[in-house]
Formats: sequence, C-alpha cells, structure tokens
Amino acid sequence: MFEFAIHVVIVALIYGLSAISLNLQAGVAGLLNFGQVAFFGMGAYALAIAAKAGLPWPVGILAGMAVASLAGAGIGLLGRNLAAEYWAISTLALAEIVRLIALNEDWLSGGPQGLGGFPIPFDGVEGVRRGLAILGLCLFVLIASLGLAIYLTRSQFGRVLRLVRDQPALARSLGHDLMSLKLRMLMISAPIAAISGSLYAGYIGYIGPDQLLPFETFLVWTMIVIGGSGNHLGAVLGAVIVEFLYAGSPLIKEYVDISYDLAASLRILLVGAGLLAFLMLRTQGLIPERPARLDARG
Amino acid sequence: MIGFLIDMLLRANDLALLAVGLSLVYSLVSFPNVAHVQYAASGAFAAWAIADRGVPLWLAIVLSMALTSIAAVVLHRAIFDRLIRSGPPVAMIGSLAVAMIAVSGFLAIFGSRPRRLPLAMEAPTMVAGAPVTPLALWTLSGTALLLAGLTMLLYFTPFGRALRALAANRTLTAACGIDPKRLADAVCALSGAFAALGGIIIAASKQTYVLLGSDLLLPVFAAAIVGGLRNPLGAFGGALIIAFGETLMTNLDVGAALGRQSWFLPLGYLPAASFSLIAIILLWRPEGLFTRKTRSV
Amino acid sequence: MLEVRGLSRHFGGVAALRHVDLRVRAGEIVALVGPNGSGKTTLLNVLSGFLPAGAGTIAFAGRVIAGLPAARIARLGLIRTFQLPAMPCGMSVLELMLCGGMPMTGTSIWNNVAHPRASKQETRREIDRAFGLLERMQLGPSANQSAGLLSGGQKKLLSFAMALMMRPKFLLLDEPTSGVNPKLHADLAVQIHLLRDEGAGFLIVEHNMEFVRQVCERCVVLDKGQVVANCSPAELQSDARVVEAYLGRPLPARGAGGLESVAL
Repeated sequence: MFEFAIHVVIVALIYGLSAISLNLQAGVAGLLNFGQVAFFGMGAYALAIAAKAGLPWPVGILAGMAVASLAGAGIGLLGRNLAAEYWAISTLALAEIVRLIALNEDWLSGGPQGLGGFPIPFDGVEGVRRGLAILGLCLFVLIASLGLAIYLTRSQFGRVLRLVRDQPALARSLGHDLMSLKLRMLMISAPIAAISGSLYAGYIGYIGPDQLLPFETFLVWTMIVIGGSGNHLGAVLGAVIVEFLYAGSPLIKEYVDISYDLAASLRILLVGAGLLAFLMLRTQGLIPERPARLDARG
Repeated sequence: MIGFLIDMLLRANDLALLAVGLSLVYSLVSFPNVAHVQYAASGAFAAWAIADRGVPLWLAIVLSMALTSIAAVVLHRAIFDRLIRSGPPVAMIGSLAVAMIAVSGFLAIFGSRPRRLPLAMEAPTMVAGAPVTPLALWTLSGTALLLAGLTMLLYFTPFGRALRALAANRTLTAACGIDPKRLADAVCALSGAFAALGGIIIAASKQTYVLLGSDLLLPVFAAAIVGGLRNPLGAFGGALIIAFGETLMTNLDVGAALGRQSWFLPLGYLPAASFSLIAIILLWRPEGLFTRKTRSV
Repeated sequence: MLEVRGLSRHFGGVAALRHVDLRVRAGEIVALVGPNGSGKTTLLNVLSGFLPAGAGTIAFAGRVIAGLPAARIARLGLIRTFQLPAMPCGMSVLELMLCGGMPMTGTSIWNNVAHPRASKQETRREIDRAFGLLERMQLGPSANQSAGLLSGGQKKLLSFAMALMMRPKFLLLDEPTSGVNPKLHADLAVQIHLLRDEGAGFLIVEHNMEFVRQVCERCVVLDKGQVVANCSPAELQSDARVVEAYLGRPLPARGAGGLESVAL
C-alpha cells in the first residue's frame, strides 16, 4: 500500500510538471495547445533512446528538452496566421503525427512495443528506497519549475503575455509583438513538459506509443481547468487531485464487482465530468488567478 | 484508375456527412465542436442496439437518426449554448469534456467488444472492372441524395438563406426576422442526424466500436477545415480532397515512380495523410480552400 | 512629424477614406472632427497599423510606416488609444501600466530571469512613475484593483496613462474625454499640454467642442472619408463646409449655435 501511495505521488508530481507547462501556454499565454502530449513524448523517448545508446540519463533529459523546445517553436510558427481554434486542431494533428512516428519507426522508438529495458536512474537502489529517491528528484524538479513558472508569470514577460491573452489589441497598441511573445512562451514551456516525460520514462523504465494518446493531453487540460487556469499552484493542485482520482478509481473494483470495461469507463467519466463541471460551474478553478499586488516600493 | 476513384469515393462517403454537419454547426456556434464526431458513434450504437431487438434495420436507422438529433439539440441547449458565453476556447474544451463523457458512456453500455450491424454479406458486382458491393452503392447514393437535398435547402429556401446569413453575420439574421434559437435547434438536429447516418455508413462497412467517433475526429476536422469550416458544401469538397490524399497514399507506388522496385508508403502513416493536409492547407490558406472571406488577426 | 499623403481605404466597395492628406508637426495638437461614420476611427486604425492602408503614404518622423505591423509602429513612438478600451479582469491597473513601460528589461526572458536585480530596480522605478501618472488621473486609489472593474471613464483615463508610460513621441487619441468625469477634462488638457511642450505631436478624435477649443490648435474636418476643412477651432463653427458635413445642409443664417448642439 505504501509503495502504491509513493507511486501515485510520483506520477502526480510528473503530471504536475506537464500541467505547469500547459498552464504557462494556455493559462498565461492563452495558447490552446491540444498537442501537449507530444512534448511529454519527446522527453520520454529522448531519455529512453539516449539510455539505450549508453549515454548518462541527464544527457537524455537535456536532449529531450532541446527537441521539445524546437518543436514548440515549430508549432508556434505554424500558428503565425491561424485563428486560435484552427491552431488547436493543428496541434492535435501534429501530436498524432509524433505518435505515429513512435508507432512506426521501429529502429528508433521500438515501434508498437515501445522502449524498455534501458538503464534507468537510481537503478542500483532497491524497492521503496528507489521510489523515494525518484520522488525526491521529481519534487525537486517540480519546485524548481514551479518557481520558474511563477517568476516568469510575474515578470514583465508574463505580465505582457497575460495582456496578450486577454486583450491582444491593447497589447499591440503598446508595441508588443504577439507572435514573438507566444513563440518564446512555447519554447520555454515545452522543455518543462519534456522533463516530465523523461522523468516518467526514467521512473517506469518503459515508454510506448500508447502513452502518447490525445487522451493524455486532455487529462492535463482537466488538471489545469480544475486547479485554476493561470495559477501555477492551482495547476499542480489540479494534477494531484486528478491523478489521485484517476489512480484511485480502479480501487472500486476491490469493493464492487464491476467489469474491466466499466472500470475503464468510470475513469474516463470522472475526468470528463470533472472537466465539464468546472467549466460550467466554476470556470476560474479551485485557485483562481488573481491580479498581482505591486507596491510603490516594488 | 476506376478502382482508385471508387476507393476515394467510398472514403469520402465516410467523411462527407460528418464534415458537412460539423461545418453547419460551426457557422452557427463559431467554435469547433469536438464532440460532433461522437454523434457518429452514438448513431451507430443506437442503430445496432435497436436492430438487435428485432426492429427492421431501416427503421432502426431512422430511429437512431432521430434520437441522435434530439441528443444534439439537448446538448446544445444545456451545455454548448451556455459555454459559448465564456468564449470559444472554453466551449471547445467543454466539447472535449462532452466527447470524453460520451466515450465513457459507450464503453459502459456497450463494452469494448466491436458490434456488427445485421447485414447480409453480398457478393460485389463489377462496375467498370472494379468490385463494388451493393451496400456501397446504396450508401453512396444515399449520401449523394442527402447532400443534394442539403444544397437545395441551403440555396433555395428561406431557412437556407437565414442560415447563410448567420454564417456571414450574426446580427443580420435577427434583422431577417428569424428566431436564432429555432434556427440553432434546426441546425443541431440536422447535423446530428447527418452525423448519425455517417456513423451508420461506417458501421455498415466495418463495425461499431467505442472509438469510432474519436478515430474520425482528425479526418473529419481536416475535411471541414480544408473546406473552410463555415462552408458546408466546401466541407464536402474537403472530404473528397482528404479521401483523395488517403487513397493516393495507399495506392501510390513510390518505388515504381522512382524507377525502382515496387515500394509503397508505410500503411502505418495512413492517418498522417489527413493530419499533414491540415497543416499544409492551413499554412497555405489559413481560412481553408473554399472560402472567400479573409480574416486578419 | 506625421505626414499622410493621398491615403485611401476601401471596405468592400465602400470608400472609408478618400485621398486624405494630413500633416501634423512636432509639438502640434490637431483635432480630428467629423460626424459619425466619417472615417475618423478608420484613419486612426490605418495610421497606427491596425488596418492596412489601401493606397497612399504615411511617414512618421521621417520614415515610411505604411505597411509596418502595429507593434512596430507603436515602438517607434506613435501610440494610439481606443474609443472603448476593454481592460482585462485578471490584471491590476498597475500591472497594465507596467505593460506600457519597462523599456530596459522589456519582455526578454533573458533580462527577466538572468538579471533579476536590474529588472527589479527598473520595476521599482517604473512603478513609481506609474503611480505618479495614476495620481494625476485620479486613479491612484485603484492602482491595485482589477482593471476590468473600472468604470468606462476610468478605463479611458487608464488607457491614456498607459500610452504615457510608453513615453510617446506622437499620440493618436480616440475621444479621450468621452465618458470621463467633466471635472477631469482640465487635468487631461494639462497632461496633453505638458507632453506637447516636450515636443510630442497629437491627433485627437473628439466630439467635445469645448475640449477641442481648449486644447487643440488646429482642426481637421473629415466627412465621408474626405478632408473637407482644415482650420482653427474658432473658425470651425463658421465654416460652411463643416456645418454642412454635420447637418447635411447649409446652416440657416442665424449663426453658430446649431453646430454646437449637434456636435455635443
């Protein structure tokens, strides 16, 4: 039971990183990215491929971050003259192309079987202690990313992006180049999602195309909507809540005799209904975004 | 060549009704309704469930279309109409949530086992040297008939005029003296019925399964976007283009074209055809192919 | 400083601007008046790059700006305000003021993250400056309030103050007094004159003739997309073309009063 709890917490923290990344894009910059899972996948596969090649795992993480950042610039450029909804569909499509590559390029990604059996971080450490070590690593990365995200959002860069999100015309009249701002936001937030992918692959020791399904993106969206779009602490809270519910719902099977299909259906229902309920009843989420207080003293 | 054309028409047939419905609704609600493709799955499941109880198939199809259009109207009134007030992005994410709930519903009610509509297998007849099943002929002519009917409706009735006015300008319609609420109901019902039939057509040639709708999401959106999203007949053209792209991918012998051994593009990348088409078309013409209106954002 | 030659702009088949010629020198305050639908806001949108120009040239401070993106034009110092500025609810008044400031740190991630001290110092300086401007607009008490909750007039003042944060060389103001408490009109005039004394130019769309008389040195009258008069504010009411533009027919012999009542 204790090991299961550690497992759930680790996965929640990993999702928390993805949620912070998406929240920087969607919550702060208003970018409707429906292909978030592609960044996660790039990080995960980069770690796995690098580890298979015998490189130390930090190399894999850095490579994943670099690839994701470039990919972020790419999808950003695609949005140069697209309306937000068109861009959203395009990102969904591009993430599916990434998944298809993972599915079809056996020489690189192991194909449908995915990649496993590569050297993983803290390999020598046994049992619960490995879980705790990974948990510590995830917690450290999460806090660092959370700090960076909050700092960025409060800085002039984040401030102007929030204006771009809410009143793009006003931002333009103040001399701000919307495209460049959004592009930079994608390039800096994508690597955070890539780290979460790397940590996932490093922790589980496996990554396959099934972890890149669009549903994973929707899961992260649910997290930030429930937690509070625009508020990074909220995003992490949302990730923890959704992951606990999502991981906990199969436990019902222990008490009530339901079929496998019904249990799976219940999980999806929980996510979908949670998302819809918050959108309709509490759009601002559990921890709403608030205007920052600034004093004359700075 | 004829075989290629028939393959393409059959695939376009899978997508056309859905893409046309999606475009119709988009011109009304101004957000891409991700849940639209789920009406296809619900239509197919409903038809299967009703036919499974011994009701004649044609009646099951009609009932399923009616049920799906009622569901579309109810969902629009209860959910989308309210979400759109918080802006298109919120509405779009909301439609995503509805899609998830729909999938979980299919999974809970029908389970993960695929279902087959009670159709007798018939031997294909030869049309200009290519095999075509009678079923395919039936569905093709059905789709053609419906699309022709829709064209008449859009261009030769007051309803159609109001709808096209709405797509161009919201306030204009109110000035036309047509109640936008009733128009919305009518459009939702129509698109729901179209989507249900689209799903049944797919289920008839393949099978009904939980992710039937989700698997259609990108090809259908690609068709609608290529067609310009506000233009229902453009969406039909979009469906033809997507179908052409996909059929070309499966049939094009790249090796032979390069003068080498026969080599086909890997089938695993087939879905990528429509995805890449979205990206290419949007880069080239951000508002789609069949629209004259330009928007500067 | 701002020179417009032969500017035309069509919407579909409708001509919104027809061969507009306009010249505003540095340190000059020009009013742009005309009846509703005469193309004043369109002209502002074209000058600020928010709408592409059809034909004609626009030069600002000696360089051609027609065709440049709006953000580039604003960074050159040609700043516009909006007739009905919408303000985000999720940001405070002071935050919005900073969006128009911070010229050194800017939005560069590198400057923001790698030089926290320098950016913090600049933030402090800019907050002081913002407070000063807000005080003068009577917005000091609302500094930390959500900008979306301000009244229409307050939003108007805020958008003016945000433009001032940009240290503008030239301001295009779209009805700066509409909705604003009349007691504050004099303060607005003082601000505009202060900036003028520093060498800034102004083109002000305004319906309030009292304000125009008080603030502006010259009036350009637009009617159906054409410049029909270019005169001093005092001449405005006696100019037959102006009166015709507003009333659609020549004014009966009785004299001035008519225009005043229509324009207000």
